Amino acid sequence: MVFLQVLINGLFLGGVYALISLGLTLIFGVVRVINFAHGEILMISMYASFFCFSVLGLNPYLSLIIVIPGMFLVGILIDQVIIRPIRNAPSYMQIFATVGLSVVLINLALVFFSGDYRSINLAFAKQVVHMGDIGISLSRFIVFISAIVVAWLVWLFLDKTDMGKQIRAIAQDRDAARLMGINPNKIYMITFGIGSAMVGLAGGLIMPLYYVFPSVGAYFVLTAFVVVVLGGLGNMVGALLGGLIIGVIDSLSGFYLDPALKEMVYFVVFLGVLLFRPSGLMGMIGAEEMGLK
Amino acid sequence: MLGSYFKNMGAPGVYFPSLILLAFLAVAALVPNEFYLNLFFMIFMFAGLSGAWNIIGGYAGQISLGHAAFYGVGAYTSAVLFAKLGLPPVLGIFASMGVAVVLAFIIGYPCLRLKGPFFTLATLAVAEVLQLLAVYFRGLTEGSEGLSIPYEPAWYNLIFESKNVYAVLAFGYMLLVLVITLVLERSKLGYQLTALRDEDQAAESLGVNTSRAKIAAFVLSGALTALGAVIVSQYVLFLEPHSDFSVNVSVELALMSMVGGLGTAVGPLIGAAILIPLGEFLRAWVGGGIQGLHYVIYGCILILVVMFMPHGIKALVENKYKALVDILPRFGAAACPQPEEEVHLHFESHEAVTAKEGRPLIAAHEVSKDFGGLRVLSGISFSVHPGEILGIIGPNGAGKTTLFNVISGVYRPTKGRVEFDGQDITGIKRIHQVCHLGMGRTYQIVKPFGNMSVLDNVMVGAFCNQAGSATAREIALEVLALVGLLDKKDQEAKSLTLANMKRLEMARALATKPKLLLLDEVMAGLNPNEIDEAIKLIRDIRDYGSTVIVVEHVMRAIMSLSERIMVIAQGEKVTEGLPREVIADQRVIKAYLGDGFELA
Repeated sequence: MVFLQVLINGLFLGGVYALISLGLTLIFGVVRVINFAHGEILMISMYASFFCFSVLGLNPYLSLIIVIPGMFLVGILIDQVIIRPIRNAPSYMQIFATVGLSVVLINLALVFFSGDYRSINLAFAKQVVHMGDIGISLSRFIVFISAIVVAWLVWLFLDKTDMGKQIRAIAQDRDAARLMGINPNKIYMITFGIGSAMVGLAGGLIMPLYYVFPSVGAYFVLTAFVVVVLGGLGNMVGALLGGLIIGVIDSLSGFYLDPALKEMVYFVVFLGVLLFRPSGLMGMIGAEEMGLK
Repeated sequence: MLGSYFKNMGAPGVYFPSLILLAFLAVAALVPNEFYLNLFFMIFMFAGLSGAWNIIGGYAGQISLGHAAFYGVGAYTSAVLFAKLGLPPVLGIFASMGVAVVLAFIIGYPCLRLKGPFFTLATLAVAEVLQLLAVYFRGLTEGSEGLSIPYEPAWYNLIFESKNVYAVLAFGYMLLVLVITLVLERSKLGYQLTALRDEDQAAESLGVNTSRAKIAAFVLSGALTALGAVIVSQYVLFLEPHSDFSVNVSVELALMSMVGGLGTAVGPLIGAAILIPLGEFLRAWVGGGIQGLHYVIYGCILILVVMFMPHGIKALVENKYKALVDILPRFGAAACPQPEEEVHLHFESHEAVTAKEGRPLIAAHEVSKDFGGLRVLSGISFSVHPGEILGIIGPNGAGKTTLFNVISGVYRPTKGRVEFDGQDITGIKRIHQVCHLGMGRTYQIVKPFGNMSVLDNVMVGAFCNQAGSATAREIALEVLALVGLLDKKDQEAKSLTLANMKRLEMARALATKPKLLLLDEVMAGLNPNEIDEAIKLIRDIRDYGSTVIVVEHVMRAIMSLSERIMVIAQGEKVTEGLPREVIADQRVIKAYLGDGFELA
């Protein structure tokens, strides 16, 4: 019974990781940039949600209507201002640029909001529904369901809509897509926006559950790196699956080993994946470019 | 190295930077002011530490965002051994460097075999995990409270009463890293790293074991970082996981190299000399009140440098520096600049034979290659004898380049066997091994090492069988003379015309002294004159003793060059024979033009 409870906790936690990783992996798959400031978008959205609650008195679930479009714009801004001028530069330049952005954002938050841990006190966040011996936290359940729904919606969007098809075309072959009349810059911009909006949703949903502080993004995004590599860089289904797996590993190792060592455990998983199956569980977009095929 | 240094002592390019370094040393040894000594200590240390980062991040182009791992592990290993077991840090340094080497292997082996962002992600994660472990193992590290190193001044403890000694020690560390970097720059490994940074696959084809080169650079970089960390911790005398393993350390090291000039020996020095005083100033001026502000400025600098000054400050001041050096007087033996050495062609034929009988040099047996469900090559067999020139023709998409890729080890065949020089090479896993067996190749889509000079490009190839730089240089100059690029040897490869890039491709492959040379459409895009030159060049290459396989669309060239022609279409071998037989063959005409055409 305890095992089942730990398992469910892990799955729900995995939902958080999946939600953060989905945006990261989408951006990588299409724009071919690892956004090292991805965690900072999470941090910004958590602060946004926090201030909506503490200043405007908005329920965090309601403030998503502000946070999600806001992060969409932040993503577009990052892409156009920082990534666009160095789109054709060697990839390490893009790494430097996003790392620089991450350092700026973390420390700006430190300057403006100080290093204090802040949280919001929401009665709903503490509600637990009991089914037999198993307790299910409602707010965590919402995160879990959202992850699955968002993954499904994005899949629908990529599969069915015209824009989605353009995005997939760019992801598969930039040059061929450009020859078909697709404007890559527009696609990169929108993809960056969508990926950032997804992490914005994550930030809004986990605000009732976690503390926010300037480097909170780094804490989550490191896990997200493990998740996207495990799932296969650029692969959405992989990110969902990888997120849930890492969540369960996190929960199991936290319970049966030691909470302080759980990062250690999934780092071992990370190195193992790189050693034995670097294209990840679900294979990877552009694996040839990475020298994996 | 040292000999040539003293020989050229009188040249301004040598004595001027030496005097600058000497001035720094004098300041470190003599300045009494504690504030400035501290500043100089930090500048020297970070110049060295960033220089260590630069070996993997700048020269090899593998961005590590986790050098804090080496820094922290280095600092903690010697400090724990000293504080808990009383082992003097002079010995502890070796333990620190040893642990760093092991760590570099653990991260490097899985990640550096792969291209893409894996390495960067892994380094970032390792530093973070080590930080957690440093907090967790309180028994050793005192956890978050931090570890104090007992103040026991003694040379073997690397703890001194005078800050001057620390500053001189830091200067020594910086000099060590600088000298190692300069030696590396001129060594085989240095050339290989710069080459693989620009074009991984082309480097492999020239015999560079890219994984091993990257891991070697990473191990060296990690060990030097750990060494520096010990010196800093014996100065600060306090360690704390959240600062010693902090990602800020990693970013700072990268930032200094980036600002100064990535992949240059002097870059990290310039970067540290600018950023350390700036950081101290910001901390003193605004940092007291507002936490984090100076990192905001660091981050902005990083973004701005990437966007507007990607080659760093070194590139900005280089010309002014050269102009300054030029007007300085020369002294002694170096008084008159040495004349350009002359290049004597003695490209020897290693095996000037044309044995049409006996064992073929290369033989493919029933080779097939599938990509997913698509069969690109099916059951192709052929052989080439030493000294022959074989032409391969076929319509677009026939599988010619795929055949080259299978022969040269880029792809493994789905079925069939490839034998080279009597050895089965079908199962070969890495491209560079094929080169070492004596097979050179060019790429249809040219892959020059764009940021290296033409000469350096060719030297990378020459290093395939040569460890020494001087010999490699000699071979490279000969080959350049042979292909007619000698007058362009100092140009950056990316500035060449397409015709010359194709020549460069050939020159690099030739410098590996191949028994067999695979030429993939080296004439596409050349004008008629250039084609004539290329035909002559390929004949010369054969006469010098290489066997040649040419894939080409230019019929004039293939007809006059080839002794035999093999035709493939849709992945299958159509026919093979003497040039005039082949072009009269109905099946060949059909393969190119379809049904309904007949020879008039």
